[in-house]
Amino acid sequence: MDKKLEKLGIYIHIPFCVKKCAYCDFYSICDLSQIDAYVKALIEQIKSYRSERKHYLVETIYIGGGTPSLLSGAQMCEIIRAVYKTFKVSDDAEITMEANPGTLDTEKLAGYHNAGINRLSIGLQSADNAELAMLSRIHTKEDFESSFYLARLEGFENINIDLMYALPGQTRETLFRTIEYVTSLEPEHISFYGLTVEPETPFGQNPELLQKIPDDETQNALYLDAIEKLEHCGFLQYEVSNFAKPGFECKHNLNFWHGKEYLGFGPAAHSIFKGVHFSYAKEFLNFIAFPTDKDTLYQEFEKLDDDALEKQYVMLGFRLKGGIDVKEYNKRFGKDFDEIYFERIKPFLDRNAPEADEPYIIKTKTGYRFSRKGFLLSNELLRKILDDEEE
Amino acid sequence: MQKQDKIRNFSIIAHIDHGKSTLADRLLEATQSVSTREMEEQLLDNMDIERERGITIKARAVKVKYEAKDGEIYDLNLIDTPGHVDFNYEVSRSLRACEGALLVVDATQGIEAQTLANTYLALENDLEIIPVINKIDLPSADIDGVRGEIEEVIGIPAEDCPAVSAKTGLNIGDVLEKIVTDIPAPKGDVNAPLKALIFDSYYDSYRGVVVYVRVLDGNIRAGEKIRMMNTGAEFEVVEVGYMSAFGLAPAEEISAGEVGYITASIKSVADTRVGDTVTDAENPTAEAFPGFKEALPMVYAGIYPADGAKYPDLRDALEKLQLNDASLVFEPETSIALGFGFRCGFLGLLHMEIIAERLEREFNLDLVTTAPSVIYKVTYKNGEVKYIDNPANYPDPDEIAKAEEPVVKGNIITPVEYVGGIMKLCQERRGIHLDTKYLDQTRVELHYTLPLNEIVYDFFDALKSRTKGYASLDYELDGYKESRLVKLEILLNQEIVDALSFIVHADKAYTRGRKIAEALKENIPRQLFEVPIQAAVGGRVIARETVKAMRKDVLAKCYGGDITRKKKLLEKQKEGKKKMRKLGSVEVPPETFMAVLKLDEE
Repeated sequence: MDKKLEKLGIYIHIPFCVKKCAYCDFYSICDLSQIDAYVKALIEQIKSYRSERKHYLVETIYIGGGTPSLLSGAQMCEIIRAVYKTFKVSDDAEITMEANPGTLDTEKLAGYHNAGINRLSIGLQSADNAELAMLSRIHTKEDFESSFYLARLEGFENINIDLMYALPGQTRETLFRTIEYVTSLEPEHISFYGLTVEPETPFGQNPELLQKIPDDETQNALYLDAIEKLEHCGFLQYEVSNFAKPGFECKHNLNFWHGKEYLGFGPAAHSIFKGVHFSYAKEFLNFIAFPTDKDTLYQEFEKLDDDALEKQYVMLGFRLKGGIDVKEYNKRFGKDFDEIYFERIKPFLDRNAPEADEPYIIKTKTGYRFSRKGFLLSNELLRKILDDEEE
Repeated sequence: MQKQDKIRNFSIIAHIDHGKSTLADRLLEATQSVSTREMEEQLLDNMDIERERGITIKARAVKVKYEAKDGEIYDLNLIDTPGHVDFNYEVSRSLRACEGALLVVDATQGIEAQTLANTYLALENDLEIIPVINKIDLPSADIDGVRGEIEEVIGIPAEDCPAVSAKTGLNIGDVLEKIVTDIPAPKGDVNAPLKALIFDSYYDSYRGVVVYVRVLDGNIRAGEKIRMMNTGAEFEVVEVGYMSAFGLAPAEEISAGEVGYITASIKSVADTRVGDTVTDAENPTAEAFPGFKEALPMVYAGIYPADGAKYPDLRDALEKLQLNDASLVFEPETSIALGFGFRCGFLGLLHMEIIAERLEREFNLDLVTTAPSVIYKVTYKNGEVKYIDNPANYPDPDEIAKAEEPVVKGNIITPVEYVGGIMKLCQERRGIHLDTKYLDQTRVELHYTLPLNEIVYDFFDALKSRTKGYASLDYELDGYKESRLVKLEILLNQEIVDALSFIVHADKAYTRGRKIAEALKENIPRQLFEVPIQAAVGGRVIARETVKAMRKDVLAKCYGGDITRKKKLLEKQKEGKKKMRKLGSVEVPPETFMAVLKLDEE
């Protein structure tokens, strides 16, 4: 293979859902009759990049949603084939697909596996059926369990399970029961998110539910204790909300956090490609009608200058458990990380976080990383670190 | 030139909200100076802030012609006066320019503190007072009751005084007739050397300063050389004229008995002090008009730009305001906490609020204003005496032989049922009760001596809140009094914040310190680290609070599609934080500096 190929991640958005979850503000539509037309448009958009074949090597493909598992195995196969036809794809590419437990069966799973999907991300969120109902999920714990085992039977050897904490009415007991249950299934990867209340969702407008959300202090305690538990079970934290058995970290997302480029397809998809950040509008009908007319589809289009790229790199790098590798940073940006940032980082290195012995930022052999407590305040810390007017 | 016996010069005095400006409008309308349609509501008050707050800040004047029932045409000169205690001196100068005053009393409220204060001022200046009972259209109007009150409390006849509704225009004609029949005509000597009293002035970018004067003797024309007798400044008159309802109306001359304006290419209102006497430089009058004094600031505060880079803009803005307001003084000051700013002197709190508001509104500046301070008089052990207007400069206790603070004579009028509450308030504020006078069965006038520093913060608000807004206050400066004063210092994160320290009576230091620490705790947002707040006197901590560390601020998900969201979040936070002031390592919103002053309990 050509040595000069740039590495690239590909994101494909499938904006269909059987029903929108009350807390979700991702872009999705419920008219499933449009799926065929959508797949066609998607393929057309992917293929419009054919001229880039000689420049890029695709290392990861991530199919997210929405609910990608509303597509048939054949449809999935067509999409992935389009990517292979358009780009060079690495032999050991990681090809992930998100799946919703209520929508999976043997036939579909076999189809996805045949299509080349080698990593499955299943949204469980909670193993407590009352909590699932409250989130208006379409599945139960039992639905999930059968989906999980069916996936194993069909040969999926790399499975992620999504979990959430800070749910209304969630207690330490229900959360830890969920964690124990999930770890006992021995998936390869667990994503563990705090619920983010989006004001524009039915959930965000329901004061009764909001009132039942545990307070910040409880949330923090749950987060810190859950990390202990997950790591104890062999799932090591590698990002604010992500845990994996060694070697099973999600490559697609790792590349993103490491500041590598990625190309997105479909309405609402974002890309950072050739130094430009762009996204497509959430306009389904436009997308179906004009999948290759980018000027019509763009929502954002922003050329990232060196400064923006550099700040983005720091911002994303500190989400990782490993933090920032100073040498890598210096090499990539031709700057001296310590010269720019040390003074701003210093107050968080040598001072202790409240009620704990752990500082917010820890010096590593290769650079700096946020501690767990630092993760909990990462926005505020990043603001201080990135603000060049702070000094 | 109008013969003096056909001239009437008068002011309108009233308590706030008793309808002074509305009455002025009606009088102008009735004399047809202004058609209703053209008239902006409340013509005399033309600054935005005045209109919003319903107060008249600076005096204005206007001349109208009136055909009286005797068939003669009269010149009526209405000189408007500021209605707030901060501007007492200006009021007295405006009154000096008149022979009479309309005393407006609200038929539903009766006499209030400012009614009395202004009446006394008018009596001191030998003015003929015509009571006018206003708002008689309101159902709760008690015309006879108010007549009785005027006679009893003020001691002037009121049985045939006009009762009007300035709002509807009812009986406005009666007022005009009264002005002609009751107010004496001016009696200046037209042939004597020029003597004119300055009662207002403002800066106009084309003409320079426009000086409003009442000519007492002689006359004045363009081309003449004039001298300001107290400042000694001399100018050549460019133009003279009258203030018509439509603006300045140039005239050949203005002469004894008349009210008019002078322009003379004057660069700054500092040369045209209110109360000064204008005379002919070549043929001066023997004596200046008595009673001139420079308006001295009573209250000082630090004004800082929220954004340090705006310091030059703030300086320019203050200079521009000063062109028009000789009582505003300022000098550069540096605060460790707030950077570069200005120490500004004001006539009172209202004056300070108005200046701060104009700086923000007209000059688009974001400001941080520190706690207002009065001027303390300190006698050092070496005999030296210093006046200190900035707590940061207050000396160590062992250097002080004697400390004195300014006191005022306060005059509070209140319905009887609130007397207890007010006495308690005055006692809390270290007031000394002088006497109590019953105005009638239901209302009482209380006299107190109060330290000025107890009333500059929130006394007026406290008074209003404890009396459901019924009590009114008037005060005047009454010299200095020895006092046990200490400097209260506030420490954030173990560091003294100079902009938050102030002087307080020793007995109140503890309560005050505790309240400030509590108020700061409420106002300072959580930071990444715990922030201890301490109040200290002479290095000894007397109160302590803690702002707990921030708990949680994290984005749970951050994948490719979240990048915009994440960046926006960081930017938004940054915007919010921009407005914060950094005090050492602690970020504080600018309101904090004033919020800590609102300390009244209840």
